Amino acid sequence: MTGSSQDKAWLLEVNGLSVDYGLKGVSSRAIESVSFALRAGEAVGLVGESGSGKTTTAMAIAGLLSPNARVSSGDVRYRGNRLPIDDDAAMRPHRWSETSVVFQGAMNALNPVHRIIKQIAEPCMLKLGMSRGEATTRARELLELVGIPADRGTAYPHELSGGMRQRVMIAMALACRPSIVIGDEPTTALDVITQAQILKLLGELRSQLNLALILITHDLSIVAEACDRVMIMYAGRIVEDGTVAEIFARPKHPYTRLLIDSIPNPANGKKVIRPIPGDPPNLVIRPSGCAFHPRCPSVMGVCGTEVPSLYKLGQGRVACHMYESSQKDKVAAHA
Amino acid sequence: MSESTVRYSPRGRAGAIKGFLRRFLGYGGAQVGLVCLMFFLIVAAVPGILVGPLQTAINATGDFLVPPSSQHLLGTDEVGRDVLNLVVHGARISLTIALLATVISLVLGTTIGMTAGYYGGRADVWLMRLTDFFFVMPSFVLALVITPVVLEVMGRGGEILGLRPSLFVIIVVIGMTSWAFVARIVRSQTLSLKERTFIDRARIAGSSNLSIMVRHLLPNLVPQIGANGALVVAGAIYVETSLSFLGLGDPLQPSWGTLLSLAQRAGAASAGAWWCLGAPGVCVLMVSLSFVLIGNALDDTFNPRRRVIP
Amino acid sequence: MSRRIFRIVFRALGTLLTVAILNFILFRIVPGDPAQLLLAGARTSVTVQQMDAQRARWGLDRPLFPDQVVDYLSATLHGDLGYSFKFRGRPVADLILERLPATIVLVGLAQMIAILCGVLFGIYAGWRRGGAVDRIATGASMALYTMPSFWLAMVLVVIFSTGLGWLPGYGIYSPGANIGSTDRFLDYLRHLVLPVTALALGLIGQYVVVARAAMSEVVTEDYMVTARAKGLTNGQMLMRHAFRNAMLPVVTLITLNLGYVVAGAITVEAVFAWPGIGGLTVEALNARDYPVLQGIFLLLGASIVLANLIADLAYGLLDPRVRQ
Repeated sequence: MTGSSQDKAWLLEVNGLSVDYGLKGVSSRAIESVSFALRAGEAVGLVGESGSGKTTTAMAIAGLLSPNARVSSGDVRYRGNRLPIDDDAAMRPHRWSETSVVFQGAMNALNPVHRIIKQIAEPCMLKLGMSRGEATTRARELLELVGIPADRGTAYPHELSGGMRQRVMIAMALACRPSIVIGDEPTTALDVITQAQILKLLGELRSQLNLALILITHDLSIVAEACDRVMIMYAGRIVEDGTVAEIFARPKHPYTRLLIDSIPNPANGKKVIRPIPGDPPNLVIRPSGCAFHPRCPSVMGVCGTEVPSLYKLGQGRVACHMYESSQKDKVAAHA
Repeated sequence: MSESTVRYSPRGRAGAIKGFLRRFLGYGGAQVGLVCLMFFLIVAAVPGILVGPLQTAINATGDFLVPPSSQHLLGTDEVGRDVLNLVVHGARISLTIALLATVISLVLGTTIGMTAGYYGGRADVWLMRLTDFFFVMPSFVLALVITPVVLEVMGRGGEILGLRPSLFVIIVVIGMTSWAFVARIVRSQTLSLKERTFIDRARIAGSSNLSIMVRHLLPNLVPQIGANGALVVAGAIYVETSLSFLGLGDPLQPSWGTLLSLAQRAGAASAGAWWCLGAPGVCVLMVSLSFVLIGNALDDTFNPRRRVIP
Repeated sequence: MSRRIFRIVFRALGTLLTVAILNFILFRIVPGDPAQLLLAGARTSVTVQQMDAQRARWGLDRPLFPDQVVDYLSATLHGDLGYSFKFRGRPVADLILERLPATIVLVGLAQMIAILCGVLFGIYAGWRRGGAVDRIATGASMALYTMPSFWLAMVLVVIFSTGLGWLPGYGIYSPGANIGSTDRFLDYLRHLVLPVTALALGLIGQYVVVARAAMSEVVTEDYMVTARAKGLTNGQMLMRHAFRNAMLPVVTLITLNLGYVVAGAITVEAVFAWPGIGGLTVEALNARDYPVLQGIFLLLGASIVLANLIADLAYGLLDPRVRQ
């Protein structure tokens, strides 16, 4: 991105990462040559439809790829060191201590038969080697931190509201003082007000604890509230990457534009969600060229044959043939 | 959780059945179970052609307790009867009892479950209380006490529908005590189907309750009933074999369980006459296993994620 | 919490009452009245006065409902289960109590072994689904599951008792031996081996099947992903998160298999001439000794209701969701 001199400053680097899933002999590529980097304390949104590869990208970073996943190229570096993301046992020390996850729908993500305080204290005991007493004290602090009275810790997950459960999930994610927190659709299934409260909490904790936040969502409006930067994914590739302000003001990729248009906005009279025409891409039989070209309103001849590379454009990056000529001109002008 | 409803539109029916068969036969367990079951059904259909009429102590063809030989492939029992002859005829008795008991059980379970689920309210409450009792009390325990009492009342002579009264009683008692599981499943399935639009449409179109249940609900319940029916048969075989072993079968129409009971009374195990008890036991094992395998494969076909038994 | 327990206990009592009433009805259906049957069983000449005395004793001169039902229930509650035909008019309750310890030892041991082995194998098979243990355990348990326990018992007798002569295949003590108490206990243990093995093997299959199915569901749950993300080892995930959740359906399903336990116990006792309830059942069936049969039915019904009650209460302890 900005050159090798600053490489040491990156907390996390993902370089040309491709992951395949094998299912009954059929292999499908979930993500393809995904590259990006993250600084400490930075908040990035990873946006896309289901099947766009956003969850696979996040799970690869957290070292939680499923056993049938295979890393076919690229790597993930944490503080400059390569992570053994395809080795389940070798990833264990990294998990939760460095990268933790706030899962979606905290009802099922929390174990129904254990009190929440026990579930929060568990990683403190197992990962940080605390005694039961120390871990419980820490868990109580964490509950207070996310805005739950510590005495509620004796509750079971089913006794809490959806928002409360999501707060518990956040408290649990902070237990081992990680530097990266991945939010996997953390506000799905919550009502709008609770959703806003959870996003606000995440934002506060981020600045307070200098956390890097990776927010996975299909909802661009959530990213607008909680992130500095956003990456749009389509069919396993990053198609656009830029600051939130830039992307909302001047979306470059046609898919990004359609995504922004589809957000209902009562302020300018748009009350209905306008879906993007066409079907989400099939990952086993991928369209030739740019995967988005069958649905693209600005499709050109070259789109069906050549895969556009992700190149720098302005402050961000984009993968679209539309801007290639201007990019080439620029490169030519520089040379 | 997968959507397990099968839509039986007249046009789609042939295709649906074809697709179902392809998936069902794709399971190795289903293939093994079906082949094994076909074998026993053929044997049970024509025992006379295969081994001649059922042997009794009077027309027995061999010596007492002879080990397997070329003359008596499975040896002879304590009164000189050919074990192969007994086992082949036993197949007919055992399968008849198990299948008829299952039919009674499925009819009862489906009727009660569907009525409770469809009408709801007080009917539901009382029918489910009844179901709960039979759910808690095992068929074997009820049948163990009811069978001898009913037999005492009816007497043991004569025949009912070609069956000796003791077998007829066993069939009815097993059928009437093993329907609770089916009723529960049918009820919960009915409850979810009731909310679907096609039931509302039928109601608005003026169909009677009975016609809605028979023509709209029942076809959609077939998968569940079928998968559980196969498991009910396996259970019925177990109960029948155990009851017959305790002497509640009929020596004149011996099932596999009765054969084992006779072998036990004759001290076959302590005499080392393994052939007397080996063949009927292996038959019981193979037939129940076939039904369990078929039941599991059916369940997997209709309901890929949820399994009653692996 | 207390309301739930109240409901469970109330339902258990309701089931027990139904069993007792069913018992009463069955008893009255049998041709001839109990007084006649009892005296016929006693094989004495019966005078009209004796007959009337019996009728009055049974309350048969009074209406069936409510008087006779109430009498029957209150007698049952007082432990009066009637008198045996076969055993010369001995009280049924005495007969049952006499035979009960042998059955409790046999069924208790077999159940403990079967639950322990079955649940452990099943849980492991479900945890490592498709692995070697899974394949072997699933195949073997399917066969054991469908195999009648008494047949297994007969096969064991043929092999280990008649064939190899290693273990006794009959009774509870060797006949005739007048030996010391230590040797007598060892003799008893040797007699226990085959019946317990037959019954336990027949039951293990069920527990393996049930536990494996439960575990296969649990491993797909979201909280298992959370546990993995927390950096837990496989062992920690299994013991801390999967095991207790997998036990929930196991506890429920164990009660569904009680029919197999009862059927297995009675028939296996019959094979080994074990002097327990199973042996008594066979004797009562052969002699058409209805009072004893009714007493056994009441005992079995009560045991099943009790087992269900324990399972329901245990479920509440394991799963906080049902407590409220």
